[in-house]
Amino acid sequence: MSAAGLPAPFGHLSPWLAFALPSEDARMRRRLAASMDELTGLYRALVDEMPAIAAHLDQWPLAQLPEPQKPLLYLALAFMEAAMAVEAFQQPGPPQATAPDSLVVYPGRAERLLGGS
Amino acid sequence: MSSPANGNPRPFAPRYPQLGTGPVPVTSAVDPAYFELERERIFRGMWINLILRDSELPEPGDYVVRHLEAQDATVLVVRGDDGRLRAFHNVCTHRGNQLAPQGAGHCAGFQCGFHGWTFDTRGRLVFVSDEQRFHALDKAALGLPPVHLDTWRGFVFVNLARRPAQSLEQAMSEFNADLKPYPFERMVLAGRYRYTVNANWKVTMNAFQESYHGAFVHKLSVGQCISPQDPYLAVQRIKLQENGNQSISVHLAPHAPSPAEKLAFDFGATFTQGGDATTAFPGTAQHEVRDWGFDLNIIFPYSRINVGAGWYYVDAFWPVAHDRTVYELAYYFPMPQRASEMISQEYSKIVLRDLSREDLATNEATHRSLRSGAIGQMVLSDQEIAVRHLYHTVAARCGRELAG
Repeated sequence: MSAAGLPAPFGHLSPWLAFALPSEDARMRRRLAASMDELTGLYRALVDEMPAIAAHLDQWPLAQLPEPQKPLLYLALAFMEAAMAVEAFQQPGPPQATAPDSLVVYPGRAERLLGGS
Repeated sequence: MSSPANGNPRPFAPRYPQLGTGPVPVTSAVDPAYFELERERIFRGMWINLILRDSELPEPGDYVVRHLEAQDATVLVVRGDDGRLRAFHNVCTHRGNQLAPQGAGHCAGFQCGFHGWTFDTRGRLVFVSDEQRFHALDKAALGLPPVHLDTWRGFVFVNLARRPAQSLEQAMSEFNADLKPYPFERMVLAGRYRYTVNANWKVTMNAFQESYHGAFVHKLSVGQCISPQDPYLAVQRIKLQENGNQSISVHLAPHAPSPAEKLAFDFGATFTQGGDATTAFPGTAQHEVRDWGFDLNIIFPYSRINVGAGWYYVDAFWPVAHDRTVYELAYYFPMPQRASEMISQEYSKIVLRDLSREDLATNEATHRSLRSGAIGQMVLSDQEIAVRHLYHTVAARCGRELAG
């Protein structure tokens, strides 16, 4: 994955790069380990920009998404993790839930296509 | 259409009088001896949905290995060099060593790590190291022991019985009209999840057979889909089959979506979209059920094929021991062509994952309490008739009558 940060014109979202992880499993665990301050910050930073991020990434077919664009996609996927925490639970995960350490998340076809796992 | 909450509050029991309306004993969920009975009378003889599409093993030599705890078996499914999908016991016919570890892969054949005996992708024994020292070895008779395999609409099933009591087609026959036409082939694997649950398989499954718990267990995760006019999501359609299979439709109230949900709706089919779906999906109860969300199709004993408007998921409550279950779920969506579709699908995957974790926590707490013996029976509402049906089917197969 690119160490350079996020592609233009989204470089200003780079403070959230630590959430731009290439697998669903990693993004879920990052979310569950995060504080609500972090998740709320991520959510607020992206919520109004998500349509523009989607439109920007949709310039390419997913199968040909250039490598430097991938962190932006992973960050958009992490936004959805943060959204459940912020919009539904007001805490990182469901208040009454089975422990995530008993859960294994395997990649789907799109994640494999991107080489995220 | 009037809400069932305002009409007959108990519409289902009269349709299935053989199930009765009395309390259901919990013995079968907590007694280790009962689990052994289930293993013998149910698990070993039923068609087992492997949560696997035949398209996931496209090339000759593609294989998966699954340990089936409930059947005390480890099964190897492999596409042969003749293009045919077969299942075998994952056991070397020399001295019984396991041939391949649990997982998936691609190979030209299977070599046993113990003494190097080698089998081809059709299961034939093709190489024996230092063969000359064996006495009258008949290699043709020492192929991998076969396991019955069949597919229904691309789903791979195996049956561990020597002679299955019925064909897979017969076992699934009542789903031919309701489920078979669903466009499964338009979708691909979007994510797969496995959870270990400290609860009996039936206790685990029970929370996935009714909507009544939604208002409590899922009030935060999908509270927006529950309307004040129908606070307990009273199910409108339940079909129970003689052989234990079930179909239950879940509806979701139309609602103003949250920002993330709206983004998901804008770019694809979504778990919480409910009756807003505009495309017709054959093989579902979309046109029978007000605010239809999805259908839960339970294949006795412990798997489901659940179909929604543009996505489906297949899951299984794998029995491991009387107090232990592995819950496995595979979620399928159209292959995203653009990033926006993948972002949309991620929303549904996360919602369903969080919901599952909420359900499974309840299952573990329930099992812990039931084990104490403090209550000997469950009291079930008409909305929980599928739970009742499961206990009845299990009892009948095990030769134990349930009091009505």
